[in-house]
Amino acid sequence: MLKIQNLKATINEKLILKGINLDIKPGEVHAIMGPNGSGKSTLANVLSGKNGYKIEGEIYFDNTNLNDLKIEERAQKGIFLAFQYPLEIPGVNTNNFLKTSLNSVRKARGQKELDTLTFLKLIKEKAKELNIDEKFLSRQLNVGFSGGEKKKNEILQMKLLEPKLSILDETDSGLDIDALRIVADGVNSYKNQENAFLIITHYQRLLDYIKPDFIHVLSAGKIIKTGNADLGEQLEKTGYANLG
Amino acid sequence: MKQSYDFNIEEIKNLSQEEKISRKKSLDLFNKYGFPSKQVEDWKFTDLNLILNKNFDIISNEVNFESNKELEVIKNFEHNYIFLTNGKIISTSFPHEEKRKILITDFDKKEKTNFDSNNSLILLNDALSSGGFSLEIAKNYKLKKPLIVYNYFSDDLKNKILNNKNSIRMNEGSELTLIDYNDGKSQSNFIKNTIDTVILNENSILKNILIQNSKSNGHFYRYIKGSLEGSSNFENYILSSGLKLNKIEIEVNLNKDNSSCSIYSALNLLGDQHQEIKTRINHNSPNCKSYQKIKNVLNDKSKGVYQGKIFVEKIAQKTDAYQLSKALIVNDEAEFDAKPELEIYADDVKCSHGSTSGSIDSDAVHYLMTRGISKDEAVKLLINGFLNEILENITNSELKFFLEEKLERQINGH
Repeated sequence: MLKIQNLKATINEKLILKGINLDIKPGEVHAIMGPNGSGKSTLANVLSGKNGYKIEGEIYFDNTNLNDLKIEERAQKGIFLAFQYPLEIPGVNTNNFLKTSLNSVRKARGQKELDTLTFLKLIKEKAKELNIDEKFLSRQLNVGFSGGEKKKNEILQMKLLEPKLSILDETDSGLDIDALRIVADGVNSYKNQENAFLIITHYQRLLDYIKPDFIHVLSAGKIIKTGNADLGEQLEKTGYANLG
Repeated sequence: MKQSYDFNIEEIKNLSQEEKISRKKSLDLFNKYGFPSKQVEDWKFTDLNLILNKNFDIISNEVNFESNKELEVIKNFEHNYIFLTNGKIISTSFPHEEKRKILITDFDKKEKTNFDSNNSLILLNDALSSGGFSLEIAKNYKLKKPLIVYNYFSDDLKNKILNNKNSIRMNEGSELTLIDYNDGKSQSNFIKNTIDTVILNENSILKNILIQNSKSNGHFYRYIKGSLEGSSNFENYILSSGLKLNKIEIEVNLNKDNSSCSIYSALNLLGDQHQEIKTRINHNSPNCKSYQKIKNVLNDKSKGVYQGKIFVEKIAQKTDAYQLSKALIVNDEAEFDAKPELEIYADDVKCSHGSTSGSIDSDAVHYLMTRGISKDEAVKLLINGFLNEILENITNSELKFFLEEKLERQINGH
């Protein structure tokens, strides 16, 4: 599904990613762990298409070269990035945003756009699954939301847009134990043999709830070790320093 | 350079000899000043003379009021209406109201404007005005549905100027939501010069909403003068995006205790559109409130202007006056000018003003794009988010929905 070959990314003349190789197949959950500044969020940004990076190497998503796609086209094709710090956007009504987003994606996928009533019914269902109060949906996007509410809102968007590849960037940060469980349940209930996850995290915590098939350790812009779920527990005990 | 005028009082029907003489006097004065240029302090951001020079070869007032337009009434929104062509009443309809509570007639030409002003457009209006309406709402009558004033324009207005006067009298305890609705699909260059005189007696409420429903090459000027008695409330909403040139001056006189007024505007200017809002709020009595929130989005090479003055008389203690203008500058070639002014002679008042301008938040655009929304759509969502705030105090959900839909059309460039 996603094939990254010797990916290098530079921003402000600083080389952050120094040759990443990664192969994600449908049905798989990959975790990227690593210390601060190792390039984890840069990888997420580059996959989402954020401007400002100079890119070398290739990224294929379902055999399309991602470098040729605009940000919104990546989302329409099925890449979803749950942000580490979801933005507060004053004035923009959450429901209105979600409807615009869903219909943009549906249109691009050749599906019929949803009218307001059908949309509202759908979003209410999805919100309920994630224990999100309906009131949040009529408020301004993320404005005044707590950290946990913002992260739940990201997972809500994921479930609404039904991506093939979901990239969760530090989704566990700022979550209390109950919110963490809800978010993890949300991910687990969406997971199937057709889609895949790339979970970027600093800590093992989230991986206790969402079991990864592979764990990659990113350090100084390179993947220095790949293993199975046990690697995470090992890292929790020994820290990143001992991997050298 | 000066454009040539062809202004002729003889064209105006049914004038007495006395009126003709008085109008001739106004016209002579106008001819002395001409259209205002930026040398006139009140017009320093809107050089009307220059703009008219660029867009008109000749300007004349020969206007016929014959309607050649089919009235298209807005559907799915219950309302009363007055239908005007080129400013003259063609028909009226008040299906939701007690008819004897509402008096609507052609503007009485003998009604004097009595503006103590050397504003040459007012002089011109005094000389040439025709058409227009007078509206009066009976004591304690609250209209059940909004009143839409449909303004249609005939197709033959190229190089013409329309001068209208309207008057609205809200008697004690009456309430009205008035929507001034311009639907000029007419692409021809014309000028509209309108003076509205609004009187609010005690405890009356008038919501005055100005909507431009389509793009227009019209060059509009409007002077709204409100005089408020005790505990009355005058709210103005300006949604006039789409006009090539528009200047709205609002003068509100808070003459008696506990009267209040507000002015909200949400403009999305495109191309080389130019709009100015100029306000003067006179706090002439204690315990009055005024509130102004002006929001402008400047795209392309457009220009927005806000000149707002708050004047507080010595006796007007406990005045509460607020004024804020915010501009979102989408394109570097666009321009926004703000000139806030406070002139305060009372010592126990609360007056605040502020003016900010900024650009589109690129991180927010990025966030929206990662959700499959194109850049254009993302920017529009943000513009809408910025502007629709001015509708937040409208509690009637039908009206709010109606206005939101109009605003969205304007953001989409009609």
